[in-house]
Order: sequence, then structure tokens, then C-alpha cells
Amino acid sequence: MTLKGGATSACAACKYQRRKCIPECLLAPYFPADQTKVFQNAHKLFGVSNIVKILRSLDPSQHAEAMRSIKYQANVRDRFPVYGCLGVIRQLYYQIQMLEEEMHTVLTQLEMYRQHHHHQQQQQQHQHQHQISSMADDVISQLELGMAPSNNALPLFNQVTHQPYTMQNTYSSSDIDSPPKDNVENNSLWIQHLFFDTNNHGTSNNDSPIAIQSQLLVPNSEPLADTQHQVVQDYDEIHPFFDSIDDRQSYIDTKDAEDSSSSEESLKETTQLMVGNVGSKDLKSAAACFSLTSVN
Amino acid sequence: MSSSSYSSSPCAACKFLRRKCMPDCIFAPYFPPEEPQKFANVHKIFGASNVSKLLNEVPTFQREDAVNSLAYEAEARLKDPVYGCVGAISVLQRQVITLQRELDATNANLFRYAYNEMPPLRPPPPPPPPAAGQSSGFYYPYQWNDPSDEDNERSSGGNM
Repeated sequence: MTLKGGATSACAACKYQRRKCIPECLLAPYFPADQTKVFQNAHKLFGVSNIVKILRSLDPSQHAEAMRSIKYQANVRDRFPVYGCLGVIRQLYYQIQMLEEEMHTVLTQLEMYRQHHHHQQQQQQHQHQHQISSMADDVISQLELGMAPSNNALPLFNQVTHQPYTMQNTYSSSDIDSPPKDNVENNSLWIQHLFFDTNNHGTSNNDSPIAIQSQLLVPNSEPLADTQHQVVQDYDEIHPFFDSIDDRQSYIDTKDAEDSSSSEESLKETTQLMVGNVGSKDLKSAAACFSLTSVN
Repeated sequence: MSSSSYSSSPCAACKFLRRKCMPDCIFAPYFPPEEPQKFANVHKIFGASNVSKLLNEVPTFQREDAVNSLAYEAEARLKDPVYGCVGAISVLQRQVITLQRELDATNANLFRYAYNEMPPLRPPPPPPPPAAGQSSGFYYPYQWNDPSDEDNERSSGGNM
């Protein structure tokens, strides 16, 4: 039995054309005998002569890359007979557009968070400073109470100052013991939970990051606003009581700006207390208050 | 000798091939005589017979799209004989990968910021250039699932 020596099998191109595959065959390195389908696709789109024409117009060092692109183009055309590589290009353009839009959205969200964080930091600083100053005022007012001349005066002051002190406590407890940070943390946990849940459902969906981002904003803003509003309300309620103690004239002036019914009742109570606890000069001024009230 | 009552101008394909443009000419609707270069490019790269066979395999309502895509690919191959339109695909695919990485990093940054209230990090540096082991750094996005071709793709550095 004789052995064939040195006989190499014909390449897919020569096999298809049913001719002898010579050693100088240009297509042999790129279309091995076992890649018949690839050659058929390339032959169907370009044709052997056109492929050889392209290779001969190029430097031999470029043959490999050129053949790679030709085979790729032919395979894509086989898969997508109508659009071929143009369809792939359009798809990629669309993908890029979607990614750029998503990036823009994310960057916008990031900027909003940055601004919100900066604003929040500034507010916390202001609140902290105000807290310190109001605590100092409260200490001073307590010291003043301790130095009051009569015991009868104490109930008035105690009654009047007790409320702001309580409010102060409320104010402090709402901000120091349970600062807005807790609300932010709760919201952050919710955000984290939402993010992980969405990730668990699938990360390849481009819509999910956008859905997360749209939900991120909502819970953060309202609870913080509520806390701050509560703080402002407390501060507003403290202020008029200080005015009534320190400066009766200012109380009279402010009385004109308020509603008549509520102000008259509070005025009556105040004047009764004042008549019982103060001297003659005060009585005269109280009467003046009463007269002014009657005029109005 | 009477002249023909109606004679339509031959299509660009029949003009180029110097043959009579028949009424049922498959090229006539898609290669008007006003665009001679279009057919010239297509014929130079693919050949008229191949284009004719391709058009016959495609439904009539899609033939115009098929011709336009062939014209685009032919022009791209003439401009870049080595890579043709595949060069554009490679560039676009790299762009997609880069954008996706940047988006992932930015999303992670946003999440960190929202959860930890920490200042956002800078965007990540651009990805490094392709490894030196690859023949050309060329990226083929679409993998041809022919098993006989997989070895050839791997050896030439195709990345899928």
C-alpha cells in the first residue's frame, strides 16, 4: 500500500471550482477545506474573481485583514440578505444614541443630587447656628427668671415662657435627637432596596436605570421639606410670646396687624393678668391699651 | 423607418454593460441613468451577476433597500479596500463599549452619592488600547456562528 506524500487537500475555493489547488493559490490560506459555508457566502456576494482582484490590489501584509473583513461582510450579508452590514451600522448608531441619552439623564440626576446635597449642608449649618443661639437665649431667659422680684410675677413668666421652652425642647428633639439625616437615611435605604430589586430583575434592560432615577427624586424631597417646615413653624410660634413680655408697646403695635377676635381675647387675658400683678403706671398703660382696643 | 413610439432611456446598469435595457430589467428600477457611478461601484466590487442573483432572492418591496445597502458597501470597500464598511462597524462598536463603561461607572457613582451622601467620584479614565497580542486591534462585533470559522476568528484576534 503506497502512501501519498506531500499531498495537501484543495482549499474550499478550488474544491468549489473543481480545479487543482496550486501552492500559490491566493485563497487557500483563508478558505480551508472545512469552511465550505464561509467560502460559499463570500463567493455569493463577491465572487472569486472579485476577491482575487481585491487581494492583488493590496500589499501581501494586508491580505489577512482584508480577507477577514470580506468573510465577515459576506457572513453578515448571508444572515441579513436585505441590509447586510448597513443594518448592523444602523443598529450601532441607535445603540450609541440611546446610551448618550441615558448618560445625559444620569449626569442630570447627579447634578441635582449634588446641588441638593450642597443646599442641605448649608441649611444644616444655618439650623445648627440658630439652635445654638436660641439655646443661649433660653439659658439667659432662665437666668432672668431666677432673678425675678416677686413670686406673683413668676406664674406669668413661667406660663408664658414655659411654652416656648417646651417648643424649644420639641424643636431641639426634632432636630438634634432625630435630625433630618434619619429621614434621608430611611429614604436612602428605600432607594438602595429599589435599586437592588431592579437589578435583580435584570440589568440588561436600558429602561431600568431610567426608572430608578425617576423614582429616586420623589421620596427625598418631601420628607425633608416637611421637617424643615415643622422647624419653621415652631420658630414662628415662639416669637410673639417674647414680644409680649419684653415690649408692651411692640405688643400693641403688633396687635393691630392680627385678627380682631383672637387678638381681643388674648388681650383681655393679658390685661387681666397684668392688672393683677403690676403697679399703677402699668395700670394706666393697660387702660390705654383697653381704650385703643375700644376705638378699634 | 419609423421611430419607436416610446423609447425609455436605458438604466445605468444596461448603459454600463452596453446592452439593451429590457422592460423587465431587474436593475432598471434601482439604478437610474442619472446615477451611473452607483452601478459602476456595485459592479466593480460585487459584479452584476451576483447583484442580480441577490435581488432575485429578495422580495420586490425590499429590493430598493438591498440595492442601497450594496451601493453603500461597495463605496466603502472602494474607499477602504482592506476593511470596507466593517471598519465603521468596528469603530462604532468600540464607541458603544466605551459609552457603556462610562455609563456603568456614572450609575455606580450616582448610587454611591444617593446612598452614602458622599461627593461624586471623577469619571473613570478611558479604557486602555487593545492588547499587543492582537493582530490589528480590529473589533468584529457580530460573531459568525459557524463552528468551522471560530478557530480562524480566535487566531486572528477577533473579540466577541
